[in-house]
Amino acid sequence: MTLQDFVLSGQWVFLAYFIGINVGYLLQNVIAAWGIRRYLQTAEQFEAESVFSSLDIPISVIVPAFNESASIITSVKAMLQLEYPQYELIVVNDGSTDDTLQKLVDEFRMQEFPEAYRARVPCAQVRGVFRSTQQGNLRVVDKENGGSKADAANAGINIARYPLVCIVDADSVLQPDSLRRVVRPFLEDPTTVAVGGTVRISNGCTIRQGFLEKVGLPSNFLALVQVVEYLRAFLFGRMGWSPINGLLIISGAFGLFHKETLVEAGGYNPKAVGEDMELVLRLHRLMKSKRKPYRITFVPDPVCWTDAPSNLRDLKSQRVRWQNGLGQALALNRELITDPRGGTVTWVAIPFYVIFELFGPIIEVAGYLFIIICALMGWIAWPQAAIFLGLAIGLGVLLSTSAIMLEEQSFHMYPRFKQLALLYLVAIFENFGFRQLTAVWRFQGLMRWLRGREHKWETLTRSDNLADEET
Amino acid sequence: MEWLFRSEFDAITTVALWSIAVVVATTIVLFVYTLGLRFATLASDRRRARFIRAWRDVFASAMLSEDAARQCTLPPVGRSSRTDLLEEWNHSRSMVDGTAAENLIVLARRTGIPGLALNLLHKRRVRPRILAVQTFGHLRDSRRRDDIRSLLDHENTALSITAAVALVDIDPSYAVPIVIPMIEKRRDWPRNRISIMLRMAGSERISEPMYRAIRSANNANRTYLLQFSRLIEAEVLDALLEDLIRDSNDPGVLNAALKLVGGFGGVPRIAALTQHDAWFVRMQAAKVLGRIGQEEHLSLLESLLDDPEWWVRYRAAQAIASLPFLGPNCLRRLRERQSDRYASDILQQSFAEVGLA
Repeated sequence: MTLQDFVLSGQWVFLAYFIGINVGYLLQNVIAAWGIRRYLQTAEQFEAESVFSSLDIPISVIVPAFNESASIITSVKAMLQLEYPQYELIVVNDGSTDDTLQKLVDEFRMQEFPEAYRARVPCAQVRGVFRSTQQGNLRVVDKENGGSKADAANAGINIARYPLVCIVDADSVLQPDSLRRVVRPFLEDPTTVAVGGTVRISNGCTIRQGFLEKVGLPSNFLALVQVVEYLRAFLFGRMGWSPINGLLIISGAFGLFHKETLVEAGGYNPKAVGEDMELVLRLHRLMKSKRKPYRITFVPDPVCWTDAPSNLRDLKSQRVRWQNGLGQALALNRELITDPRGGTVTWVAIPFYVIFELFGPIIEVAGYLFIIICALMGWIAWPQAAIFLGLAIGLGVLLSTSAIMLEEQSFHMYPRFKQLALLYLVAIFENFGFRQLTAVWRFQGLMRWLRGREHKWETLTRSDNLADEET
Repeated sequence: MEWLFRSEFDAITTVALWSIAVVVATTIVLFVYTLGLRFATLASDRRRARFIRAWRDVFASAMLSEDAARQCTLPPVGRSSRTDLLEEWNHSRSMVDGTAAENLIVLARRTGIPGLALNLLHKRRVRPRILAVQTFGHLRDSRRRDDIRSLLDHENTALSITAAVALVDIDPSYAVPIVIPMIEKRRDWPRNRISIMLRMAGSERISEPMYRAIRSANNANRTYLLQFSRLIEAEVLDALLEDLIRDSNDPGVLNAALKLVGGFGGVPRIAALTQHDAWFVRMQAAKVLGRIGQEEHLSLLESLLDDPEWWVRYRAAQAIASLPFLGPNCLRRLRERQSDRYASDILQQSFAEVGLA
């Protein structure tokens, strides 16, 4: 093979890859647009007539908390005000080294309670269960630190009393009606085993008493870029898979599960880095092995708002962890890849995730390097290199533009023209540096997974949005 | 531009260039569409807000007096506001009943709402048809009964259940024998809306048809239909539950029936169900025995305290803690005499829940 052949082949490979991945995303976009439209058509009526009745399914809301002293009271108070007829709130103090537990005990007059605890899914030693003398539906599980959110969530699952469990991050801001919205697929289709909801970025929003008061955009560029990223990830990344029952991930920040199915699957894997995706893959595996019809679905409503990393250190750590978790989750559930009865999951979703999401960073980073090196060495002309880079950037802008369009068509959360303009500017400028940087981080995450390194709870720098307010 | 036409690179560059052209064109189209959508939404929101401001006062005064409904000045309704008028009228109508509802119907006839709804009823799109059906229901327009009945079998869930609700709204006596058998066939109907529809029909109308439907259904359908039986008359429900608990051995049916038991019928059979193979039947039976609170069942409940299933132990312990004839000292002694650790633990928890720790 001559150098010219090598360069030409390389160009075809990278071009095919970039076009392939983006055609895949655009197809998801089309499915998502159809799915959102269908969802919204019935949502209005569902909401109008959704009076609470004895038919609503009670929910156990589980909040794993590790060193959340700064915001736990505000979060719990807000979660106690959710609009849902019957739910309990279980906060799991995962061996916090700060005064998270003491604050809860003082604020909600918690008393240690002789709970007949049963360990149905694995977790670290439970030290005690507290019950609020003020709020009948609030309990706190105090346990040894298990080293992961998954371990804490499992402790909550073990004492949950209701048929559905909702796992929520302690720093998540929920919409008051989020449970009502996310429970809808369970009411409509009894074969539903898990439901995810759209997570949005809370940086730049006004939050009072743990509730979202006004939607805004952050001034920090990194956080701003993530607003557009989340629109892409949730509005078509998840909504594109849900109608074809190929959803492989439900965000750890907010997910609703059928408890008995969750227990049957073994609960969260405390060793998993990406415990949320690993669990969903395991649920697929379980249900397919049982040969029973099931749905793992997604509601596009923005039900949960979360704080995004706003500095490079935290963002890098998050992206490395996500990629590491993706690799691990797929490897742990590799049986799904070869399951002849795997349906959309085996034949469409997993190949897409393996080729474009897991190994994508290798091709993406290599593609950029290849074009630059070829241009520097004079193997291809600079204008030609610019065309290839321009195509990569153009496809990136196109995807973000389509996500913004979906948002405009559906939930219209950013009503000011200035906000719309800012989202478009970000859709363009994120392609100059940010996207390449995240590709490098994802590459590092991939390497970390291949080397088999472990991950633990991380303390990220938080915005002041959720800090407990003086009362 | 010589490089563009040079050697083997031509083909790939051409593909890339064409791809860029397609990408740029698509991006521009999406951008313009989004902007257009934003402007259209803003304009429509403003127009709708103006329209609603004008009509809300009219609806409010019509609800209060029939004279106002017959004589008040009606704001103009442009072609683009017809759907808004129907939506707004339906919204107001769904919030009231009695005279206020009658007055709104009078007002609707003056404004030509039946005609507008009729235009929408035979459209191809589902959404306008739903609005039309809802309107005829709220108008209690019996002339459209057959049109609406034909939509009960429609494949679209929202349209079909809206038709069922509208039919009940128009004429409950006519609708109930038709829609109740549909409930077990249309499992796609949202349960909340079925519940609303049955409540609208009234317990005296639905009791007998529901009783018959449940008695004649197979076990799976029986379990499903029992969810809605809370809405039937108490004496019919008691008779139904007594029959089901006596005659059925299906765990699903027994579970659903035991959940509803409020009276004292069939107690010996319920006591026997504490030994049923299905844990959830044992659990429900324990709950019922706790509610009934008879001394003779204490030993049965005690025997459930070391059941392999946590929920059975828990409900049995709760039932014991709620028995009216057992004072705190008796309960403590009862716990002390448990040799099984599970039994002791679950009693401790349940006693703590009622402040007896």
